[in-house]
Amino acid sequence: MSKGPVILNETIHQSVRLRIMTLLVSQPEEARIAYRFIQRTLDLTGGNLTIHLRKLRDAGYVTIIKEFQEDKPSTWVQATPLGRGAYSEYLANLEEVLGGVALGSAR
Amino acid sequence: MSGSEGGEAVLTPQEGWESIHATMHRARSSMYLAGSSRILLLWGGLTPLMYLAEYWLQTGGADLAEESPWVRAPIFGVLVLAGIIGSGFIGKRAGLRNATKEISRAIGIRVFCFWMAVTMAAWLIPGAAGMWNPESGPQIPHVAIGIVTLGFVLFGTMTNFVLAGVGVGIAAAYYGPHYLAGDAALVFSALATMVVVVAGALWIRKSGVE
Repeated sequence: MSKGPVILNETIHQSVRLRIMTLLVSQPEEARIAYRFIQRTLDLTGGNLTIHLRKLRDAGYVTIIKEFQEDKPSTWVQATPLGRGAYSEYLANLEEVLGGVALGSAR
Repeated sequence: MSGSEGGEAVLTPQEGWESIHATMHRARSSMYLAGSSRILLLWGGLTPLMYLAEYWLQTGGADLAEESPWVRAPIFGVLVLAGIIGSGFIGKRAGLRNATKEISRAIGIRVFCFWMAVTMAAWLIPGAAGMWNPESGPQIPHVAIGIVTLGFVLFGTMTNFVLAGVGVGIAAAYYGPHYLAGDAALVFSALATMVVVVAGALWIRKSGVE
C-alpha cells in the first residue's frame, strides 16, 4: 500500500513562523525566550512578529507570557509540548519531502 | 521565497530546510553574544587606559617604574579586574533579558570560562616562558596581545565574524604603531584600539545583537 503525499504543517511552514518555532524549539523545554530577543535575532518588526506569534498561539504551539522584570513590562514566549510535537512532525515530513536528507542535527 | 499565498511568503521545502539551519546558528550566536557590544565598549575604554598607563611609566613616571618595576602589576591588575567584573555584570544582565535564568546562566558560564581561559593564558604563558622579570616584563604585552587576538578570532569564528575582525584590528592597532611610531607608539595604539573596538561594538549592535 503506497503512502499518500506528505503534507507539511501549514502553520509552521511559513518563512517567519518556521524561524520563530526553530528558535523556540532549539532551546530546552522549560525555556522562555524574550519577545525582544526574537524580534532582534530574526530581524522582524514588532507588528510582523506579533501577527505570527498570535497564529502560533491560536494553534496552541506557543504561550505568550507578559510580566514585569525590573519594574519594566516584558513579554516572553515559550514553545508548548504541542508545538514541539508539531515541529518534530514537521521536520520528519520535511525530511521525507526532501528525499531523506539527514535532518538529525536540526532536531 | 517561491511565491506568496494569502499575503504570506510561501517556502519551498529546500528553503525551509535552509531557514532552519540559518535560524539555529543565528539564535545560538545571539545568545552567546549577549551584551557583547557593551562589553566591547567597556574594554575599548580600559585597554587604551592600560596603554596610556604604560606610556606614562615609560616617560613621566619612569623613575617610579625603575624604583618599583612591579608597580605595573597593581595598575594593570585593577584595570583587568574591573574589565572582568564589568563584563560579567553586563553579560549576565543582557543574558537575563534574552532568556530565562537557566539558559542564560548556562551560556554565560561557558562564555565567562572561555574568556577567563584567554585572560589566564595571556597572563600565565609569559610567566611559563620566563618573562616575569624586570628585563623581559615590558615584552609581556607583545605576547599577551597575540593571545587575546587568538581568543577573539576563535570566539568570532564560532559566533560572529565581526569579533574575529575586531581581534585582528586590536592586534594591528598594537603591533603597527610598535614598529612604525617610535616612542609614541603606545599613544597611537591607545587611539587606534579605541577606534577599532568602538567600531566593532557599533557593527555588532547594527547586526541585531544587543
